[in-house]
Amino acid sequence: MSAEARLEQLLDHRPDLWRGRARRSLPAVPTGLDWLDRGLPGGGWPLGRLTELLPRVSGCGELGLLLPLLARCTQQGQPVVLAGPVMVPGPQAMAGAGVALEHLLVVREATEVLWAAEQCLKSGLCGSVAVWPPAGRVGERAVRRLQLAAEHSPGPTFVVYRPEQSPPPSVSALRLGLSPGSGVEILRSPAGLVESRRLGPASESVLDLERYRRHAHASS
Amino acid sequence: MPTPHPELWLGLHCPQLPLLAAWQCDREMPELHAVHGHQRGRHVILQAGAAARRVGVVPGQPLSTALAVAPALHSRPRHSAAERSLLEQLALGAWRGSSQVVLAPPDGVLLEIAGSRRLYGGLRPLVETLCAQLEQAGLPVRTGSAPVAVTARLFARHGLHAASRGAMRKTLHGLALTALALDDSQAQALAGCGLNSVAELLRLPAPERARRFGPELNRHLACLEGRVSTPLIAWQPPETFRLRLELPAASSDSSALLFVLRRAVARTAHWLEVRDRALTRLHIALQREDGGGSVPVRVGLSRPGMDAERLLELLALKLDKLELPGPVEAVELRAESTDEHRPPQADLWNGNNRGDAWPALLDRLKARLGDEGLSGLAPQSDHRPEKAWRWVEPGTPASCSDKRPRPTWLLPEPRPCRRENLRLEDGPERIEAGWWDEQDCRRDYFVARDRHGRRLWVFHEHQPREGWFIHGLFD
Repeated sequence: MSAEARLEQLLDHRPDLWRGRARRSLPAVPTGLDWLDRGLPGGGWPLGRLTELLPRVSGCGELGLLLPLLARCTQQGQPVVLAGPVMVPGPQAMAGAGVALEHLLVVREATEVLWAAEQCLKSGLCGSVAVWPPAGRVGERAVRRLQLAAEHSPGPTFVVYRPEQSPPPSVSALRLGLSPGSGVEILRSPAGLVESRRLGPASESVLDLERYRRHAHASS
Repeated sequence: MPTPHPELWLGLHCPQLPLLAAWQCDREMPELHAVHGHQRGRHVILQAGAAARRVGVVPGQPLSTALAVAPALHSRPRHSAAERSLLEQLALGAWRGSSQVVLAPPDGVLLEIAGSRRLYGGLRPLVETLCAQLEQAGLPVRTGSAPVAVTARLFARHGLHAASRGAMRKTLHGLALTALALDDSQAQALAGCGLNSVAELLRLPAPERARRFGPELNRHLACLEGRVSTPLIAWQPPETFRLRLELPAASSDSSALLFVLRRAVARTAHWLEVRDRALTRLHIALQREDGGGSVPVRVGLSRPGMDAERLLELLALKLDKLELPGPVEAVELRAESTDEHRPPQADLWNGNNRGDAWPALLDRLKARLGDEGLSGLAPQSDHRPEKAWRWVEPGTPASCSDKRPRPTWLLPEPRPCRRENLRLEDGPERIEAGWWDEQDCRRDYFVARDRHGRRLWVFHEHQPREGWFIHGLFD
């Protein structure tokens, strides 16, 4: 094997390494929503990295977007974990979306949410884990720990912030802004993609220039 | 009296038992340690550790003398209850080698091995296996064997083995009189008579021996030679496991408690293994020093089994969260077990959900979060939406036949809101229920948009209170 090929292989093992514009194939699983799969880099929810969801107000898609994934995992018998959700997930709605409720685990003890999520991720047994960090400032260290744990998890991992919380500078693969009625906005993407894009079930992807400028500015 | 089946008894003698029992719960043993007892109004050293013996502490020495010889000596009074429990532990170990076990208090156990030695391929492998297992459990023993139980007990003190009655008598006759382990008065009477070996003693006519040393000695010699059989009480391992361990010093430090619990868990594991049972729940009571009752700690396992390391990890998580009101002096432990056997299952289709790992994760989470901190969700059939769901044990199968539109998020309690901020989109769905349990309500549910554009599940209540409320969100 040539030295270059070996180096290439070595670099491929480090998904946390920024490699300029080089688009690598990112491991991902389908979200179960066609419009989302089409718009997301890698064609789905990234694996081994955090996906951060930033709802503008609570209850505008943080659970709804995950339902197809949760349904798929639980139907295959993989447990899914919702750690510290702000409200009670409605069992009728979840069952209606195809989630097998016996494989759903809800962490209700607010003070231990991060610990519990870390344990679940490290176990490598969960089909998907979604974490709602407790109210108040979210520490950089907490998110980094989750990121490290997420590398052990076979499924996608989500960190859902409250509207009043802002995400710490982090190593997330994907950061999505959610707002009621207007789908999803990609605020940050792993493949060096900085343009902000709106994704929605019906609408075409629209380049939001103002946001693009702001984020390009923020990340420079 | 000839026995129908030739018996062979193995004697296990644990010479260090009083010392081990008194110091069993210490994390750091002082170098010079001993155990003392009460004899004729004085504290007398019963046994001393190797280091203490080297500096001149000998059994039989008054405690004050021993302390003068070795000022750094730590001596504890003898603890008979702990010795008994340790002897049971020894018997439990012996139970692995035979189903016929007899206790020989205070420091010995006998087991019948005529049958089982064939299983092990001879006496030697059997003895070696047993000794290694007991040594690992912290109970070093000496062994001896003979066709007669009482003699095997005596031989165990001296490490002698005899397979036939002839060989046994020969060995017995060669023993010095001091080796017979007689009680004090008999030993004194024998010491002054000018006899040295058992053979010389037996050469005396029996009536003469009875006159000089009492009839007890003759009976004892007859038992040892196997001419008279002694009744034996068979020991059975207890049906339920209970254990009480006292801390060397009352403490509220969780690492000290954990050390004692490690001991207790190891013994529980031993018992379960011998009884061929699987643990379902461990009840622990931490007894407070100030007599203020005990603090209960319960650890349950999602899948019956026994993995000492996992159990200790769970206990550590529990203790971490526990606020002890005061120092703890003793730990009591009770094991709930089942004889149902469920070997770890491998999931054929799904490589992720392998074997024991998921129940182990649930146990660990529950240990720290509490039973309330971790749940599954299930719908419940009730017309009132706030009663139409409940938290359940994780993994509870649930089915839902309700096909009406229900929101993805439910508020823990319906929240009052203002009608002006809502734009009704769908509805109403009239819900009237609860008249049978006096929680009468009459509501009209709507799907509405708020000013953010979120789809809400709201209701207009007519009874018992009039007003508009948000109950959930369609995400």
